[in-house]
Amino acid sequence: MTVIARRLAGHLARGIVMILVVATISFFIVRSIPGDPVAANVQKLIEQGMAPEAAEQATRVLYGFQPSGSLWQQYTDYMAGLLTFDLGQSVTHAGAPVTQVLGEAAKWTVLPVLAGTLLSFLVGIILGVYAAIKRTGKLGDILAISGSLLHGVPQYVLGLLLSAIFATLIPILPADGPVDILFEPGFNAGYIGSLAEHAVLPVLTYALAAYGGWILAMKSSVVTVLGDDFILAAELRGMRRSIIFRYIARNAILPLFTILALSLGLLLGGAVFIERIFNYPGLGLLLLDSITMRDYALMSGAFLLITAAIIVANILADLFYSVIDPRVRGGEEVGA
Amino acid sequence: MTKTAPGVRIDGLTVVYKTPAGELPAVRDVDLRLEPGTITGIVGESGSGKSTLALSLLNAVQPPGRISAGSVEIDGLGDVVGLRNEQLRKARGKHIGYVFQAAQNSLNPLKTVGKQLLDLGRSHGVEDLRALVREAKELLGRMGLDGARVLDSHQHELSGGMRQRVGIMLALVLNAHLVVLDEPTTALDMITQANILKIVREVHAERGLTTLVITHDIGVVAEVADRLAVMYGGRLVEQGPTREVLGAPRHPYTKGLIRAIPRLVGDIDEAQALPGRPPTLATVPAEGCVFRERCPLRMDVCDTVDPDVRADTGADGPRAVACHAVTVKEHA
Repeated sequence: MTVIARRLAGHLARGIVMILVVATISFFIVRSIPGDPVAANVQKLIEQGMAPEAAEQATRVLYGFQPSGSLWQQYTDYMAGLLTFDLGQSVTHAGAPVTQVLGEAAKWTVLPVLAGTLLSFLVGIILGVYAAIKRTGKLGDILAISGSLLHGVPQYVLGLLLSAIFATLIPILPADGPVDILFEPGFNAGYIGSLAEHAVLPVLTYALAAYGGWILAMKSSVVTVLGDDFILAAELRGMRRSIIFRYIARNAILPLFTILALSLGLLLGGAVFIERIFNYPGLGLLLLDSITMRDYALMSGAFLLITAAIIVANILADLFYSVIDPRVRGGEEVGA
Repeated sequence: MTKTAPGVRIDGLTVVYKTPAGELPAVRDVDLRLEPGTITGIVGESGSGKSTLALSLLNAVQPPGRISAGSVEIDGLGDVVGLRNEQLRKARGKHIGYVFQAAQNSLNPLKTVGKQLLDLGRSHGVEDLRALVREAKELLGRMGLDGARVLDSHQHELSGGMRQRVGIMLALVLNAHLVVLDEPTTALDMITQANILKIVREVHAERGLTTLVITHDIGVVAEVADRLAVMYGGRLVEQGPTREVLGAPRHPYTKGLIRAIPRLVGDIDEAQALPGRPPTLATVPAEGCVFRERCPLRMDVCDTVDPDVRADTGADGPRAVACHAVTVKEHA
């Protein structure tokens, strides 16, 4: 147990340093993007005939504040705020705190991505085992081909296709946002049902897009394990098929957990197309909007959130690994 | 239930492997007897078919290979070549124990030895799992290990010699009386090697087993085996009591093997490697003697006619050799 606690402490320390570094880099990159929304607004008002003083005053009122410090001053303010989880305010959301804006958007990304990824993971690994065991037969061929095909189709094409088929040609499922606005948000059957109904297509898109990767990865992992000596040894000791099957599955699934954790971290930011197609006001769309509107604080915040998600996913994957793989648990690996 | 050491009769065994060039024999027309209570050693170079022969005893030749002819009669089991599915599965482990090479990872890396022992017990319907664990601890203790600690360990926490003893324990714990050891000492250091061989000999005697040891190391056979069989190119070229075969080898291949061993005393140059290379599945001749390409006694007849196995009875038991030159010399 202490080994795991020590690992966790090490990971957390490293994770925090990484987050600070990424925060710094994204702060400066974001601010070196050409364009200044405040200056642009002042300029616009002046051109409309307003006096410069009045224009600045109006802009300050519009945004609720006006940054005027040097870049260095802004940076130290930002980092100081970061320590108290204050990511600043969003100029495009009437000065609302960035953390609040991100939180609102995150739920529309996390839920469908999580559901879609877990669904495809489960289906993919189960079929992957069959694809490996039946790899010389027709079933194996069909599974492998279906995996390769779906793996090759980009996520947004799948999304458009599903939306076109199930929302337009045969309109049985909605594709107009995360929930029907008729329902009162809260824990009531109508609202939950509407949420679930709206989530079908995006979740299916995530699941189908990822399924191919899982089935192919699991298949090759199982084939590797099948060639291992201990499987033949178990057979020669007369072990039951069901027990040998469990030996194979548990050994083959190990490397896939790492991929799962990483893909969950990555998917937070990579959902722009799906969110656009199905009108989900999630993180991907938020990031896109913040970039076009030059909402510095929101951009930095979104980048930071995605980074933190990947780092946390990594830490979780590693800790989980040390729970399920006794060879990692011992702590005899280099650098630990 | 007390069992006695079973006898094994292998007759006309041929094992073929499917290759792009058709089905090629890895073991061809092998006759071999394992007398109850004896240790038999099979010696051969890599690719001689000795491991395939060992797997045949469990009817466990892996695809693309298959037993195409012959029978393997084991006392109490019948012909294992005819066994299928559940019958075969139950015979493995319970009647026939198989011990893997130490360097091979014959244990599930994710489970402790003890948990795998329980899996083994459940697979064979052992009702008293506590007794099984007790028996395992006793066996491990007998082999000089701390049973409780080993059962609580994962494979990566055990040394090569410890793994090998765990392998022997797993082969014997269900009370199997026919044990096949495939390269039991390969990849072990000299001290551990000697220890393992001592254990094999002692456990064999104490439990009353019939044992088959597969090895490329003629020293191992000299150490433990009562009888010795020499394989070359899928054929059994010579067999007989170990002492007689090593003391007075008749087949030119056996002679070559023995000459190739460096001696501790005397000139190192006396050890002479056999010229040429052993045949592979693809290069083993379809007709005639399999050894003729490397044989100093090669005659015309060797190119076309496969030598018959000629058996006779020596002082310590039957001997057999398959060589035209030997036949000519001894019967001229």
